[in-house]
Amino acid sequence: MKKYEAVIILNPNLSSKVGEFTKKFEKTLSESSFSVKKCEDIGRRQLSYSINNHNKGHYLIFNIEGDPTKLIDVENKIKYDESIIRHLFMSVKEHSEGDSQLFLDSKNNKHEIEDDNETTSKSKDSQTKQDDEEKSNKDSQKSEDNESSNEDQKKDPSIDNIDDKEKDDE
Amino acid sequence: MMSKYDLPKNFDYKDVNLLKQFITETGKIIPARVTGISASNQRKITRYIKIARYLALIPYTDMHK
Repeated sequence: MKKYEAVIILNPNLSSKVGEFTKKFEKTLSESSFSVKKCEDIGRRQLSYSINNHNKGHYLIFNIEGDPTKLIDVENKIKYDESIIRHLFMSVKEHSEGDSQLFLDSKNNKHEIEDDNETTSKSKDSQTKQDDEEKSNKDSQKSEDNESSNEDQKKDPSIDNIDDKEKDDE
Repeated sequence: MMSKYDLPKNFDYKDVNLLKQFITETGKIIPARVTGISASNQRKITRYIKIARYLALIPYTDMHK
């Protein structure tokens, strides 16, 4: 018995059929002596680069336990499943307890969207806070821009400064 | 050398925001002599970045189509 972590990236167009897929996949696993300890549905996520012309993917993470020799069978079965755009099985010493950072991040994102829709005072407060933060960020960006424009105006002295800095570093 | 990174005790390829601190704008892994973290942590970071890249959590490069 070995512990594995399986990451499956599903076709985002089949997002609504995740439940069906999870059941099917768990069945495939149990047929090959694997037991599912935990299943995390991360949800749709922007891919960092397009895979098979998909820009988004539905992430699923399974904590599974089973016979290493049977893992090849599982991989062979899901290899030609077109609903899966990428998969990875990793052996782990211990299954991580609690929710993964990815799952928490996706949850937070969902909450933000819900907050936007709600009109409760709480969400308003959080929104105003966010707005303030955005404003402050913009201000800081502006100040940086001003600085950079100043530097552009006085090109020669800035170059001198950089030279000084380099000397200091040495 | 003082490290400016606050590494948690346990982390893995799923801590995308953490891993993003260790890649350049072009997606390269920042070398240990620049990050200044311990050798064992740098090896972990490298391993997890490579897994996260495969899973499209972080980019290989900024030249992706």
